[in-house]
Amino acid sequence: SKNSELIPSIKLRHCCLLRNQRCLTAYLYDRLLRIRALRWEYGSVLPANVRFHMCAEEVQWFSQYKKSLASFMRSLGGGEGLDITQDMKPPKSLYIEVRCLKDHGEFEIDDGTVILLKKNSQHFLPRWKCEQLIRQGVLEHVMS
Amino acid sequence: LFYMLYLTNVKHVLCFQRVALLVASDIDALCACKILQALFHCDQVQYTLVPVTGWQDLGTAFLEHKEQFRYFVLINCGANVDLLEMLQPDDDSVFFICDTHRPVDVVNVYNETQIKLLIKQDDDLGVPPYDDIFRDEDDEEGGDSGNESDEGSEPSGKRRRFDEGAVERRIERQRAKREWEARRREILFDYEQYEYHGTSASMMFFELAWVLTKDTKDMLWWAVIGLTDQWVHDKITHMKYVTDIATMQRHVSRHNHRNEDEENSLSIDCMRISFEYDLRLTLYQHWSLYESICNSCYTSCNFKLWTLNGQKKLQEFLADMGLPLKQVRQKFNSMDMSIKENLRDVIEESSNKYGLKDIRIQTFGVHFGFKNRFLASDMVHATAALLESTEKDESDSDNFIKALDSLSRSNLERLHSGIELAKRKLMAIQQTVASCICTNLILSQGPFLYCYLMEGTPDVKLFSKPIALTLLCKYLLKAFVHSTRNKRCKLLPLIMAAPKDVEKGTVIVVGIPPESETSDKKNFFGRAFEKAAESTSSRTLHDNFDTSIIELKTDDRSKFLDALITLLS
Repeated sequence: SKNSELIPSIKLRHCCLLRNQRCLTAYLYDRLLRIRALRWEYGSVLPANVRFHMCAEEVQWFSQYKKSLASFMRSLGGGEGLDITQDMKPPKSLYIEVRCLKDHGEFEIDDGTVILLKKNSQHFLPRWKCEQLIRQGVLEHVMS
Repeated sequence: LFYMLYLTNVKHVLCFQRVALLVASDIDALCACKILQALFHCDQVQYTLVPVTGWQDLGTAFLEHKEQFRYFVLINCGANVDLLEMLQPDDDSVFFICDTHRPVDVVNVYNETQIKLLIKQDDDLGVPPYDDIFRDEDDEEGGDSGNESDEGSEPSGKRRRFDEGAVERRIERQRAKREWEARRREILFDYEQYEYHGTSASMMFFELAWVLTKDTKDMLWWAVIGLTDQWVHDKITHMKYVTDIATMQRHVSRHNHRNEDEENSLSIDCMRISFEYDLRLTLYQHWSLYESICNSCYTSCNFKLWTLNGQKKLQEFLADMGLPLKQVRQKFNSMDMSIKENLRDVIEESSNKYGLKDIRIQTFGVHFGFKNRFLASDMVHATAALLESTEKDESDSDNFIKALDSLSRSNLERLHSGIELAKRKLMAIQQTVASCICTNLILSQGPFLYCYLMEGTPDVKLFSKPIALTLLCKYLLKAFVHSTRNKRCKLLPLIMAAPKDVEKGTVIVVGIPPESETSDKKNFFGRAFEKAAESTSSRTLHDNFDTSIIELKTDDRSKFLDALITLLS
């Protein structure tokens, strides 16, 4: 009979524990989703200040996600592979005009050609070659 | 070699290549650059744009980019010196030059492989024929040595005669060669003596766009601005301006007729270019009418607004037109509609009474949206003010980019800030002109007039830049011609000097040809400056693409001037 008196309080505490557990899981899941989004925003290498805030397991999860995404991308296009993390928004044109905001020195692009990025010079280049530098703030997209 | 409108070939060659664009710092070049950029965008030609302010800049830019580019397009620079000699490029570099500077260096004209000049067919260059300037050296010597080798086998008597014959022939050949060289020097001297300007580069590129049927209204507007720049800065004769305006007018009508057939008229936001026979009052639609009259060269010089008499005349003029002072001093847009309606005709009528026969000039205007109306000359002044803005921390290339941006329709704020800067510049010019005339700062040195702006002069920083100083120079000469009674002085050219860099102790010196109705705008100061600098070993820098603008060490000023006086007397 003494036990039956405790049952409601046990049930109550158990509900609280379950609720706390749900909150924590929701929090962890949300972190996971954000880490996944980080892959799409930053690319495969995360900047140090972001990695500082992730625990070891999360880093591990991130690298596994990276691997899955990479193998998925490789399998697209009949075995040739397609980088789907580029061009997140449909591009308006193949080539864009960019302006150099600071002296960046020589910049080599995939086909081997070298461009000298001097402050205030303007260049008309294929979009995909410039995206990284635009994100870094070296180049500025000029819209006329 | 020439390529008169080197059309589809240019496009074909450049299509899959990357091109370096080296653009000079004047408004015509900026407009030409915008047109070319638009064409390149159409055809997806990858390019790199580098602004250059002078020969040194050009050389540096070339060195930096020569590894990566084979094709270079030079806008408003490079035609008037031996480019290959200066830049020492590799054999496979090709230069496309569209430059208004004349005379074109003869080496550039006759080079067949690396230099391609874009010049209009009608532009008469007056280039001397090839044989008058170039000559193969090899033929001559071969004849002599052939004769000499026979000498050994001849008996002595015959040999002496033979020798004399050979010697005589050699002397004759040398004499002919000296004569030829003297004539060559003379021909080249005549050819290169006077500097002037040809058809605007932006018009050239617009014609290229038109032939490729890729021309748009924006490009047409830029071509108009480029042409107007040549007129505002007095680089071409009035005749040429009128002829070129007629050419542009044909294009404008063509573009306007395109839309008239449609049942639905164009939205108010679309760009419309119209031919205007408008007043020669600088920036009047963005200022008050009164300010514009006071600060426009034409009205200020004709009324002599730096004198009290002139001010009175101006008041009479306004009263004659029935324009109340209160209205006229307001911002133009706030003036009464009733006044604005017939303003141009009213002003023209009154101006004729006061002797201002050419108050109206043929030009073009653009409007898009309800608020935005600009005349071509407004744009020229605004962009020029931005290009030579003397704000601290702004490098030349920063200003270039700002000025280039102001030409796009989407950057109206920049354009308006340019207009404000232009107003300040014009007021500074008027005040400087007034003070120079009233304090007799213009001295006649014999063969030319001379004026030196001292360091403490207000706004003197504005005049350390070439375009602004040249504009001041022209206004000053016009004002001087109107104010002086000395008939001889009216026909003299003017040289002006202003401090350029206080730390380095240099001044900028500009020379302009004499002011006259029928002036052909040909300037001989380029060569004169070079010779004077050489003869006195003054420390000069001939960096500007216009050879009549140089930088000189302040200390060498007096000996340089003396040399010029002796040279030109």
